Amino acid sequence: MTPEKPNRWRALRTTLTAVVVLVAYILAYRGSFVASDTPIDLRRLFSVELWSKGGPLLRDFLTPDLVDREIQPVTLQLPVPVPCGSAENGVPATTGPRLVPSVPCAAPRDKFRVEGFELQPDTELQLRWRLPSGQYFPGPFITTDADGHFSAEFEARPIVATKDGVPGQIEVELQVEVGAVKLSRAFFDVLDGVIVTIFMALIATAAAVVVAAPLSFLAAQNVTRRGRVGTAVYYLVRTVFNILRSFEAIVIATLFAFWVDFGPFAGVLALTVVTIASLGKLFSEAVEGIDPGPVEALTATGANRLQVVWFAIVPQIVPNFVSFIIYHWDINVRISTIIGYVGGGGIGYYLAQMINTGQDNKAGTAIWAIVLVVWAMDFISAEVRKRYT
Amino acid sequence: MPVTIPLASLILPGLGQLLSGRRARGLSILGLTLTLLGLIWWSLTPQDLSPETRPIPLKGDPANLYWLVVPVLIWAWNVWDAARPNVAPGWIPALLSTTMFFVIGWQVAEINPPVLASNIDRVMLIVRPMLRPDFIQPRAEEREGWVEIIVPCPTEAPAAADSSTGEITLTVDATCGAVGETLTVAAAGLTPDVPVELVWQSPIGDFFVLREADDPTRFRSEQPDAQGGLTTALVIPNAIPPGVDPTMPQEQRLYLRQSRPLGGWELSTNGGFILQGIYETIALALMATTLGTLGAFPFSFLAARNLMGGNAFTLVVYVVVRTILNIVRSIESLIIAIVFVVIIGLGPFAGMMAVTVHTIAALGKLFSEVIEGIDPGPIEAIRATGANWLQIVRYGVLPQVVPAFTAFTIYRWEINVRASTIIGVVGGGGIGFFLIQWINLSDYRAVSAAFLAILVVVQIMDFVSARLRERLA
Amino acid sequence: MLEVQHLHKVYPNGTRALTDVSFQVEDGEFLVVIGLSGSGKSTLLRCINRLIEPTQGKILWDGTDVTAASGAELRGIRRQIGMIFQQFNLVKRSSVLTNVLAGRLGYVGTAGSLAGVWSSADRASAVRALERVGLAEKAQSRADALSGGQQQRVAIARALMQNPKLILADEPVASLDPVLSHSILQYLEQLNREEKITVICSLHFLDLVHRYATRVIALKDGEVVFTGLPQEIDKARFKEIYGEDAIEVKAGLSA
Repeated sequence: MTPEKPNRWRALRTTLTAVVVLVAYILAYRGSFVASDTPIDLRRLFSVELWSKGGPLLRDFLTPDLVDREIQPVTLQLPVPVPCGSAENGVPATTGPRLVPSVPCAAPRDKFRVEGFELQPDTELQLRWRLPSGQYFPGPFITTDADGHFSAEFEARPIVATKDGVPGQIEVELQVEVGAVKLSRAFFDVLDGVIVTIFMALIATAAAVVVAAPLSFLAAQNVTRRGRVGTAVYYLVRTVFNILRSFEAIVIATLFAFWVDFGPFAGVLALTVVTIASLGKLFSEAVEGIDPGPVEALTATGANRLQVVWFAIVPQIVPNFVSFIIYHWDINVRISTIIGYVGGGGIGYYLAQMINTGQDNKAGTAIWAIVLVVWAMDFISAEVRKRYT
Repeated sequence: MPVTIPLASLILPGLGQLLSGRRARGLSILGLTLTLLGLIWWSLTPQDLSPETRPIPLKGDPANLYWLVVPVLIWAWNVWDAARPNVAPGWIPALLSTTMFFVIGWQVAEINPPVLASNIDRVMLIVRPMLRPDFIQPRAEEREGWVEIIVPCPTEAPAAADSSTGEITLTVDATCGAVGETLTVAAAGLTPDVPVELVWQSPIGDFFVLREADDPTRFRSEQPDAQGGLTTALVIPNAIPPGVDPTMPQEQRLYLRQSRPLGGWELSTNGGFILQGIYETIALALMATTLGTLGAFPFSFLAARNLMGGNAFTLVVYVVVRTILNIVRSIESLIIAIVFVVIIGLGPFAGMMAVTVHTIAALGKLFSEVIEGIDPGPIEAIRATGANWLQIVRYGVLPQVVPAFTAFTIYRWEINVRASTIIGVVGGGGIGFFLIQWINLSDYRAVSAAFLAILVVVQIMDFVSARLRERLA
Repeated sequence: MLEVQHLHKVYPNGTRALTDVSFQVEDGEFLVVIGLSGSGKSTLLRCINRLIEPTQGKILWDGTDVTAASGAELRGIRRQIGMIFQQFNLVKRSSVLTNVLAGRLGYVGTAGSLAGVWSSADRASAVRALERVGLAEKAQSRADALSGGQQQRVAIARALMQNPKLILADEPVASLDPVLSHSILQYLEQLNREEKITVICSLHFLDLVHRYATRVIALKDGEVVFTGLPQEIDKARFKEIYGEDAIEVKAGLSA
């Protein structure tokens, strides 16, 4: 064999690989065009059109709804007799939130100007006539400027005329924020969601451990793969783990949601199933990685299979198992934040509701809460694992 | 043992342990007690329900107050532990708090195993169609003919409706009729010996397959004669949609449908969607992994402490970049996808962007750790030969990081393939987009085909990347 | 009395580890098996308590056919045969006491042992066994906190818990330095003399063989090439067993 031959073969193979990769990329880039309204088109990321729409949305997501203040409606009124002389003229206040008409009284169909001072800045208000009967007659919508001032034209209609000596009044209703800043409603809803989510993950992880721990021994070569039955069981359990691991929890959650109705339970079941598969695999690898010496030694003492597992294998794997369990609880919190999106329950459900109803600030609260919780779990689980192993 | 230690623990759980130098234990006790008290407070406050929130079963139940027993007992235990270190058994607080967490968790997560059994009929409902995945179907020629019938009869009888679309002709003995009346239909031009399905079209265009009069669970199926003719009677069904005046004459239609087997198999409609979805999924994962790796590269250098620790400015950059990477990494790509779908719109582009962003963050962190872990020895040695900065990077740094970078990228590719199968659930394109719609439409034959497709793709990709990693290792 | 008749072992990959091995061990002997690495010593010892299944041949122990036993009967035989390993094979994360108690597993019920319930008699004899190897004060330590020599002594205590009539020792001192080697072998010798426990031990160093063995078997490529007294192994025999190029190395510090 000449030395050039493998070289040429290698060059050919490299070229072929390069061509395949190139074709894969072209197909991947074009692939998204098949039947989609939004194909992969990186130029769009830099388009003005996208950001003029997406910018405010992104801003909403980034400014969570955390605090608000109690709102109290306050009504400002000022009697304006129509026609003049039918009742006593109102006297506008000189300080504080006040309405000041350009004329103290008016004849029907007269137009005059109304000014408002020291009102809520940048707020939409409605100017209206409060009739002597107590009902009101709506006027124009106005927006105050940054100083809380407005000026609007207003018309005295015949219907607002004085009745039995009681004049009609001009009126605005103000939404005044009173009291101290308090945590918003969204904050508490999100807190509820987060707590439910953490518990979903906790229950699912625990349930999965109960199932996966014994199953993992069946999927460990060094324990199970003996004799025909053992080998069959080994491959069966391993295959089941592998199949289940191919599916994301969210997909399985949709099936469980059909079975047990939407709610946290469906999410817990789905999480349990994927965690069994994932933990089962990790556990069985831990079991396969043990030192075989003690197994041999205890078999030599005449201990039976169960005793060998309990005394020679279990003590060796406990630290690994604990570390995997904590790690998976962390992962499960992360997954269950999203599982609610289809399965109901937890923070994911709230997030879906807020996205679907366009309340982007509240969705932002949920997203930030998820970040915080996942981060905290990540930190705690890393610390605990570090300490334990 | 001074009396102050247990006293400190009596005032604040864990304080005594902290003061006597058992820091971890003290902090754990304090954290646990606060968590338990917080949980009890949370369970006692009533939930302010709105249409968007789901009621939580135990919230606001005054009986939750009894849980106070647990923190109180742990408090007492903690005083004991402070007074006599290493005597008080640790399993007491562990067992107490675990019990409380699981009992409360059981209620909060609405765990209800009996439902699994009582709703088993629903499982049967989906298992049967799932055993027949809808991916291919027998090749067949679809033929149909129809005739118009006015229901109910207008005052003026309409002209004889003779309808002949294609080769199948239908004649009915009446051009109109009321719901429940019997019609006799004669057809010619049918394919002989292939069963015929009778389908009724409502005024708004919905189709109803007519069922046997004596057995409503079975669809009607008539056999034409050897010449392709068929005469049969049928009762006019009530196909008037709700909200429409039933006395107003409306055009409805009777269809005769045949599907003549041609032998062999072909891709079904849903099968086509699955192929498209898989194509999109793989495309999405490939693009996201590539862009994510390219994007992670610069970030990883900025997030490596050994490169950025030089002065205050670079240190600030390091902290900021690392914090951002950590935050983004902790958000599931599905949640990022939700944001992108809102901004970009439905489709694989949004999904790809989401997976890309998550990949940048996750790989950025892993890469930066690789960079932090490189051996300074070779760099020093190459610098000593008089090499310039680029040469140092090429011969001192790259050889050290490339194998790990490659391994992490391949590993990420596996994760991204899995993520891409579901990114469509929130509208991000790929097979998940079809899957979630089929689930919503309860088309479980298609769902099962999609499951199989996902299984095959994930297994193949896992196998390929496992082989690749083996060869590179 | 242990009788090995025409024992063959072929591994699934085709390696012939033992070929037609036959010998007898009288009660109370200290039989040493010597040979190069890979000559089949470990396989032979493990075939005796069936940790490895022989391909062919018979092992009779006190008239019982070990090769034909299975299930409970096999475990019944195993519990009378103690075994000591080169790597000690202790459960490193368990306490020394638990490791020693594990020697009783063949005698106690499954449920009780899994629950960690041991009779006071078992606990007492575990402490006695530890006292015998001089490690009573280490009972509560974790096994991996002990040195190599101490771990091997724990392993001896574990074997003692079985009340063995026979102890198989597979290179018990290969992982230990010469001083510790002698101390371990002296424990075995003491058991052999005082308790009349038969010992079958595989060893590397010829000086140790001369010092402790009452009889020697040499294996070469899975076949018995020598059976006899230790003093019969002269230079010529040595070359025959270990090959032409071998030089005798002493474990040193002959006690």
